[in-house]
Amino acid sequence: MAAIWVYAEHKDGKIKKVAFEILSEAKALAGKSGGPLCAVLIGSGVEGMAAALGSYGAQKVYCVEAADLGAYTTGGYTKALCDLVQQEKPAIVLFGASINGKDLSARVAGRLGVGLATDCTGIGLDDKGRLQVRRPMYAGKVYADVVFSDAAPQMASVRPNVLTLAAPDESRKPEVVKVAAAVKSDDTMVALKEVVKTGGEKVDLTEANIIVSGGRGMKGPEGFQILEELAGVLGGVVGASRAAVDAGWRPQSDQVGQSGKVVTPNLYVACGISGSIQHLAGMGTSKMIVAVNKDPEAPIFKKADYGVVDDLFKIVPAFTQEVKKLQ
Amino acid sequence: MEIARPLYWNIGAIGMINYILALAAILILVYALYDRIRLWRHGKAAIRFDQAAERIKGVVLYVVGHWRILKDTYPGIMHALIFWGFALLFIGTGLEAFDHYSGLHFLHGTAYITFSFILELAGLAIVLGVLMAAWRRYVTRPSRLDNKPDDLWALLLLFCVVVTGFLVEAARLAALNVPVNAPWERWSFVGWFLSPLFAGGSQAAVLTWHKGIWWVHVVLSYVFIAAIVYTRLLHIITTFISTYTRNLKQAAVNAIEKMEEAETFGVNKLEEFTWVDLMQLDACTRCGRCQDSCPAHLTDKPLNPKQVIQDLKAHLNEMAPVWAQKKTGAAAEQPPEVEAKAVSGGVIADDASWSCTTCGACTTQCPVFIEPWPKLIELRRYMALMESRFPAEVQVAFRNMENNSNPWGIGSATRGDWAAELGVKTLAESPDPEYLLYVGCAGSFDELNKKVSTAVVKILQAAGVSFGILGAEEGCCGDSARKLGNEYLFQMMAQQNIEVMKGYNVKKIITLCPHGYNTLKNEYPQFGGEFAVYHYTEIIAQLIAQRRVTLSKRQNLKVAYHDSCYLGRHNGVYNPPRQILRAIPGVKLVEMKRNKERGFCCGAGGGRMWMEEHLGTRINHARIEDVVQTNPQVVGTACPFCYTMLVDGIKEKELQERYRASDIAELVLAAMDKGKA
Repeated sequence: MAAIWVYAEHKDGKIKKVAFEILSEAKALAGKSGGPLCAVLIGSGVEGMAAALGSYGAQKVYCVEAADLGAYTTGGYTKALCDLVQQEKPAIVLFGASINGKDLSARVAGRLGVGLATDCTGIGLDDKGRLQVRRPMYAGKVYADVVFSDAAPQMASVRPNVLTLAAPDESRKPEVVKVAAAVKSDDTMVALKEVVKTGGEKVDLTEANIIVSGGRGMKGPEGFQILEELAGVLGGVVGASRAAVDAGWRPQSDQVGQSGKVVTPNLYVACGISGSIQHLAGMGTSKMIVAVNKDPEAPIFKKADYGVVDDLFKIVPAFTQEVKKLQ
Repeated sequence: MEIARPLYWNIGAIGMINYILALAAILILVYALYDRIRLWRHGKAAIRFDQAAERIKGVVLYVVGHWRILKDTYPGIMHALIFWGFALLFIGTGLEAFDHYSGLHFLHGTAYITFSFILELAGLAIVLGVLMAAWRRYVTRPSRLDNKPDDLWALLLLFCVVVTGFLVEAARLAALNVPVNAPWERWSFVGWFLSPLFAGGSQAAVLTWHKGIWWVHVVLSYVFIAAIVYTRLLHIITTFISTYTRNLKQAAVNAIEKMEEAETFGVNKLEEFTWVDLMQLDACTRCGRCQDSCPAHLTDKPLNPKQVIQDLKAHLNEMAPVWAQKKTGAAAEQPPEVEAKAVSGGVIADDASWSCTTCGACTTQCPVFIEPWPKLIELRRYMALMESRFPAEVQVAFRNMENNSNPWGIGSATRGDWAAELGVKTLAESPDPEYLLYVGCAGSFDELNKKVSTAVVKILQAAGVSFGILGAEEGCCGDSARKLGNEYLFQMMAQQNIEVMKGYNVKKIITLCPHGYNTLKNEYPQFGGEFAVYHYTEIIAQLIAQRRVTLSKRQNLKVAYHDSCYLGRHNGVYNPPRQILRAIPGVKLVEMKRNKERGFCCGAGGGRMWMEEHLGTRINHARIEDVVQTNPQVVGTACPFCYTMLVDGIKEKELQERYRASDIAELVLAAMDKGKA
């Protein structure tokens, strides 16, 4: 049976989470179709990451390597992946709809002359064994289930943080296939000179799974210390409302809301945030919202799944302690 | 001797050279003006010659009557003295020539004495006005004035023309021996007062002086006329044009016609402005009233309406040779960069364009009806529609408006949910009520403003008003999209709303939000949406006057009313909100120092509601300072944007203990006898 491939995007020697998410759910697809589940790593010196892919279900990992693939370039990666697809002829190729994933999937689809379903929120097989994906349309007002008529391969990109991540099984070892890519510097078209980072080391808010946000109720920049601690034990990152950013307590890059970042984490903890409509517009679609506020009338409670009406300086440290105990 | 003034006294036939000089000066004036008009005509067409009666009325009121100029007392009086003095001397000189050449000779006897006396006063008025101007410009130096040599020249020229005129007269009177030969000339009191200056010399010397100063006076007068177009004096002419061609529909932004066929949108080249826009550049005298009332400028943002006009004018002047050269094919005088210069982003910085709140203070303050903010809208249109160049936050607001017809992007299907418990019928459920209550986005989705829509509904229900809402069929009015330059999105939303409203045969509309009010009332007619539109304050004020709403519960509150720009300045609705507040028993209405026409923006107009305010200081904080100064207990508003900005400002300044903001509808509801409601 033809294989299901998952493109494994990586950065700084680590696989992006979305690749694991896709593998976790694609396992079931492979089980149904009977084809092998494979992952594709492109880069130089990527073999070390293959084991992790195996633990999430990849039976075979292609390590496509060339000296000119050290950094992501649209041209280089497209050539490397297209060459491999044309050689191995998988039935399905899935990408994470990250910035680079969107870029690469579109280019590969164009080069291969096949269709692409972008930004999907669900993957499955229809009764004829074809890939069937779910795509939000009209800003999420409706979903469309899409199948491919006769594309080979059938390609889709999947939105991060949507598919359910399975627990890794370290005992599973994948078969590693090393491929020397015929990519020359001409194919990359651009040369990466330098990566200039802005902000700190921390995870970008829009990619975070858990966000602990503070607002005017934090009373000052030092108040955020307790949020940092809570975020630390939860494995999340700290965000802020516009009020806290305007007051100069947090950098602009931390701002969640209409005019800041629009986020959809699994857990959003709002501390001392009243929940103005501008803020809600930026986090209202989070999967789980927990609010801590002294004011029972605060509009955030209308949106929250769980609410605590109390002094956050009492609640948050206590909660942090409880989480620590559990760990 | 006849009581009259002989023309060319002591000058003789050589004085006829005067007419050659006059002709030369007038030719220069006409040619130079023609040159400027040709420049303006590089702009696009504009309909500004309709409604002649209204336009003439404006010229009489605002130019001759100085109605706007006098609103600022010192500079108003200063300019009125110069203007009316100048006008009288101009008319006087004409009369004298007419008197002489028509052969009617009516200027003699008492008529001459009166005439002479009035012109004396006129000359004195100019001198006084010029001295006041010099004092202000060079001694007190208000920040809104920037001094250029041009200003000094104009004042000096005006001063010298009048003073030499007086000296000629003084010399003539000295030579005449007034007490003996012409006692009536004492009525020419300034000349008479100055005549002792010439007392020392012989008769011959006085006559020579007279002749000399006469020529200086004549030459200076013609220099003045010839210089008009080349100096700030140009406003003597352009003021009439700019006032006559003023925008009679100022509250409505011009529609881009036939969007599907247009190839460019907005303005990036001067030629893409209308000729009126270009003419207005020549009407500006840099008086700075606009900058003194501009919320962006006053909070240190990189926008100064006066500078916008001046920068555009400088660009017009550097483009003049480029256009001329294109016509004649002569060698280029200007470097190619000049022609390549972009207006949006080049001549006017992006940050300046995006800083505008479209509050309309600049257009309301300008004595000559120049329109800075509508020009900035044209630049935004270019950036938004041609280059998708706008702050990142604006992208989010646009997308949300496109997808869900509200700037927050909340599901459009839930638009009517706020009214679920209130027993309000939608037009679909119960068609043909008297009024459609157009709620707007804030009143539908924002918790703070849902309270206001709820209050308005309860008041209308208590008064037995027949009304309904559109619920989920209502869409965003599009004001923010339009003011942010996204005309395409605006027109789409406007057409949708109009279609729905017409489908239900809507005739009368009550709006909650002043932005919706302005848009529906003044802009929807551009797309065939002709409705009678009222703001809820107008309706409630009427209901109170008709005693259909009775306010019986004492409130004991000191309330300052904050004028919304789109209710007040753009639509002149200053009184209904105040009438309502005065009708609430126990409410003491106080005014902030900036109120009504001079009301200060909250900072959220012009789509600024959806943008960050990183530059300068906060506009709403500046407004809160006005609140602190007046020290009411409550700041009353009638606009959801103002309401939000004031609530935020009070919180940010940590003044919640002392002040609260409240919508007028909430105050009314609190004062109503619930038993009846």
